[in-house]
Amino acid sequence: MTTATAVTLRGVTKRYANVQAVAGVDLTIRAGEVVALLGPNGAGKSTTIEMLLGLVKPDQGSVQVYGGTPTDAIAAGQVGVMLQSGGIIEDARVGELLNLVAGLHKNAMPVEEALEQAGIADLAKRTMKGLSGGQKQRVRFAMAIIPQPDLIVLDEPTTGMDVESRRDFWASMHAETARGRTVLFATHYLEEADSYADRIVLMRNGKIVADGTAAQIKAGVSGRTIRATIPGADLPALASLPGVRNVETRGDVVLLQCADSDNTLRHLLQNTPAHDIEVTSADLEDAVLAIGAQDESAQQANTAQETLA
Amino acid sequence: MNRDYLIFDIRRTLRNRRVLIFSILMPLVLFLIFGLTIPQDADEAGISAIAYVMVSMAMFGSMSAAMSSGGVIAAERDGGWNRTLRLTPLKPQAYVVNKVILSLLLAVPPLLVVFVVGMTFGHVDLSASQWLTVALVSWLGALPFAAIGLVIGYVAKPDSVQPITGLSTMLIAAFGGLWLPVDQMPSVMKHIAQLTPAYWTSQTSRSALTQGGLDTHALMVVLGWTLVLGFIGLRRYRADTARA
Repeated sequence: MTTATAVTLRGVTKRYANVQAVAGVDLTIRAGEVVALLGPNGAGKSTTIEMLLGLVKPDQGSVQVYGGTPTDAIAAGQVGVMLQSGGIIEDARVGELLNLVAGLHKNAMPVEEALEQAGIADLAKRTMKGLSGGQKQRVRFAMAIIPQPDLIVLDEPTTGMDVESRRDFWASMHAETARGRTVLFATHYLEEADSYADRIVLMRNGKIVADGTAAQIKAGVSGRTIRATIPGADLPALASLPGVRNVETRGDVVLLQCADSDNTLRHLLQNTPAHDIEVTSADLEDAVLAIGAQDESAQQANTAQETLA
Repeated sequence: MNRDYLIFDIRRTLRNRRVLIFSILMPLVLFLIFGLTIPQDADEAGISAIAYVMVSMAMFGSMSAAMSSGGVIAAERDGGWNRTLRLTPLKPQAYVVNKVILSLLLAVPPLLVVFVVGMTFGHVDLSASQWLTVALVSWLGALPFAAIGLVIGYVAKPDSVQPITGLSTMLIAAFGGLWLPVDQMPSVMKHIAQLTPAYWTSQTSRSALTQGGLDTHALMVVLGWTLVLGFIGLRRYRADTARA
C-alpha cells in the first residue's frame, strides 16, 4: 500500500493562447503522501491540478491516477476534490447538497459524519447563499471527503478564510491525513506548505523548480541571513561584498543574505559601525525566494541566448 | 438516472413556489378566460369547444413547465456545478435523463389542474379511457419541449434564460395554435402552426377525444420532433462537457 503510486504525470504541457501555463511537468505522488503544490499565482498549479483530474486535456504528456485515466479513478470514487471557487448550488441547503454528493458515490460516509468532520454540523439546514466564504469552503471540504476517497485534491483550500478558520480547517485536514489518505493541495501560503505537507513541490512559470521535504528545500539554499543595525550603511558596497546575494534595508536595519556569513560578518565588524548583529540560517521563505531568483536569472539567460541566436 | 439527484431537484423545485404556482396559474387563467366564456354547445373540429380549449391549455401548461427546466440547467452550468459533477461518478447521460424526468414531473401539476377544472367547472364529458388517453398523451407531449428546455439550458446564460424561455413559450403557443384555434385563423397561420411541435402535440391530444382514435400522423410528427430536438440537446450537452 505504501509503495503504490497514486499519481503520475509525465512530460505534461498545456498552452492557452499565448501563455504556456504548464511547460513540462513530471510528478509522481506515492500513496499516503501529503504533497503541497506551492507557487505564486500563475505558476501553473491550477492547470496542473485540472489536468490531473481530467478536467483539462494536456497538449502533451500523460496523466495516470491509480494506474488508469483520471476519469476512471473518479468513476471509481477514488478521488475527492475541493476546487477553489464555485462548484456548488447556491439555492440548495448544506445538508441537501451533501446528501446528493453522497448519493453519487458508492462508498460514501454518512452525511452527519462529513458535517461533523468539516465542523459544520450546525449549518446542515442553512442555504448555501447565506454562508460566508469560509463556511462555503468547509462545505466544499465536506463534499471532498464524503466519498471516502484514496486521494484528496484541494486547490487553494483556505482562500478567503481568516486565520482562525484556516487553523481549524487544517486541524480537520489532519484527521484525514492520519487515515493514510493521499493529499495534494495547491497553495501560495508558504507556512501552510511548511506545516502540513510531507513534501513540497515548488512551481514557477509552469515548471517544477524544486521538489522535496521542507528541510531538503531549505538545505538546497546554503548560506545565512545577517541582520544588523548599520547607520548610514553604504548599500552598494555591501552588495558587492563577495558572497552577498541580496541586501535589504528597513530603516537603519540591514538584512544581508550571504553565502559565506563568516566573511561578511568580519567585514561588517571591521569596516562598519554595525551593531545588534544577528545571524540566522535560511528559512523556507528564503529558500523559495532564492530558487525563484535562480530560476528568473536562468530564464533571462535563456531569453538572452534566444535573442542572440 | 440518479435517484438522489432527482429527490434533490424535486425538493429544490418544491421550495421554489413562485415558479411552481406560476406554471399552474398561467394555463389555468387562460383556460378560464378562453374556455369558460365560450358557449357550451359550440364545437370545433368535431369536439366540444370547451374540450378543445381545455386540451390546448393543458398542452400549453405542460409545455411551458417542461421548458422551464432549462433555467435549472443554465443555473447549474453557470456556478461551475457541472464541473463538480464531472468530478463524481455520475454518468453524463444520467444527468440528461434526470433533467428530462424533472421536466415531465413539472408538467404534471398544470395538466392536472386544467383537466380537473375542465371536468368540474367546464363539464367536459369524456369516458374514463378518453380521460386517461388525453392525459397521457398531453403529458408525454411535453417530451419535445423538455428537449427544447435542454437546448436552451445549454445555450443561454442564467440571466437570459428566463426571457428566452418566456419568449419561446409564447411564440410556440401563439403560432402553434394553443391560444387560438388555427381553424379560426387565416390559412397562412395554419401553415405556420404546422411548423411548430405544439400544433402536433395538441393535435395528437385532441384526436384522443374524437371517434377516429389517435391521429397517428400527428403522433409521428411529435416523435420526429422529440428525436430531432433530443439529438440537438444531447449534442449541446456533449459540446458543453467536452470543453476540457
